[in-house]
Amino acid sequence: MTEPIIQIQDLHKHFGTTAALNGVDLNVFPGEVVVIIGPSGSGKSTLLRCVNRLEVFEAGIVNVDGIPLTTAENINAIRAEVGMVFQSFNLFPHLTVLENVMIAQKVVRKRTQDEAEAIALALLEKVGIPEKRSDYPGQLSGGQQQRVAIARALAMNPKIMLFDEPTSALDPEMIQEVLDVMLQLAKDGMTMVVVSHEMGFARAAADRAILMDEGRIVEQAVPDILFNHPQQERTKAFLSKIL
Amino acid sequence: MQLRKQLNRVPGYEVANHRIDRWWWLVLAVVGIVTALACIQPDPYWRIIRFVADGIVVTVGVTISAFLLTLVVGLFAALGRLSKNNLFRTITTIYVEVARGIPLLVQLLFWYFAFPSIIHSIGRLIHFEPFENYLANAYLMAILGLAFCYAAYMSEIYRAGIQSIPKGQNEAARSLGMSKSQAMRYIILPQAIKTILPPVGNEFISLLKDSSLVSVVAVADMTRRGREFMAAYFIPVETWMMIALLYLVMTLIATRVVSWIERKTQTEER
Repeated sequence: MTEPIIQIQDLHKHFGTTAALNGVDLNVFPGEVVVIIGPSGSGKSTLLRCVNRLEVFEAGIVNVDGIPLTTAENINAIRAEVGMVFQSFNLFPHLTVLENVMIAQKVVRKRTQDEAEAIALALLEKVGIPEKRSDYPGQLSGGQQQRVAIARALAMNPKIMLFDEPTSALDPEMIQEVLDVMLQLAKDGMTMVVVSHEMGFARAAADRAILMDEGRIVEQAVPDILFNHPQQERTKAFLSKIL
Repeated sequence: MQLRKQLNRVPGYEVANHRIDRWWWLVLAVVGIVTALACIQPDPYWRIIRFVADGIVVTVGVTISAFLLTLVVGLFAALGRLSKNNLFRTITTIYVEVARGIPLLVQLLFWYFAFPSIIHSIGRLIHFEPFENYLANAYLMAILGLAFCYAAYMSEIYRAGIQSIPKGQNEAARSLGMSKSQAMRYIILPQAIKTILPPVGNEFISLLKDSSLVSVVAVADMTRRGREFMAAYFIPVETWMMIALLYLVMTLIATRVVSWIERKTQTEER
């Protein structure tokens, strides 16, 4: 049995007096694709953001690639290994598409201009928009922006990719182009944790689906089993609303 | 628009794609008035201009030096106010409140008259020769005084600009492994600078005008040279009208340059 690449034990996180995470235990293994679903406010995004410590947690353990996240010194090194894709893309509007994919390579990975550019061009090819390299993010559609955001994260050669509702801000006809890129990534063996209600994607790519509610993991199983034969009443109630 | 397109096809009549700012005519008009006055009535107008010419250089020099210093000090003050470190935040907040709460003229008088006295006293107290014989340089003190006050205002402009950048930008930068300062330098500041250009330009123009206050602390700027001319020849109307026109030329040019930079940075994106 291989070691889990993400180990989460008894994770607690509060915003003021409200508890966002109420003791979450989760192991993710290398190459695994995990999809997290759940009602809004259930702590899905917070859990994801704790994995690269965009949120500071009060209690519990998060180990990424064997390194505990509680010490501050290694946080930038860990973040470079963990790619993150946001609901609102968060591309850098003052940089071109190509520069968006290059900037962290140069600043964090200390790659040369030529190296970074070659990697960026290859990744833009991979996400299917090499022709947009000189455009600014404001000139792209939402789907294109999200694909650039994926390329930007991949440029750091991450071991893990986190997706925080990557298609929720997209028009319906653009969702598939982003999901296609994510499907390809899953096929390539990337470890992925995806917060998303795209059942099609979960069925096609995920090894495991997790339902969260009120800061806890309610149920987890292979997607087909979780979606078709849920054991918990809470899962049934939630699925009946979104299916 | 249609005319512009047609003109572009006629050789020799190509209209530049970046439109020329229409308000340049106002600059030309004021420059025209100054030139006309100087040509039609060289005495006294051309004499005034020649007399205050070195003062024009001083005014421009003091303004630009103080402004550059303001940009640097203001940025550090803004970063201090945004810092999580209590000490930095307290120091910079006190600085901003003090510098904004005292009239600029009083500050300039303090830097030129009181500050050297304090240095002398300290020098005598600790028997430190260079301090005891410290001679205040009027120009240096004037530039420091202007920058000290203006950097406080500038820091608030920087702060507003930095805070106007959505939180997601910082999160994206940090999630790529950038440190706090790298995110600030490569992601936040370049965007913030674009949004704060108009108020920063206004600060430059205010500073240009307020630089006339340094005339009271032994700096021979345009205003002081004007006073000297008036004292010598006693023609107040002509003197102050010419000085006013010269300031107006400078501020109008500065306004046009600021709006040109603004439009240039705005059209580069989207």
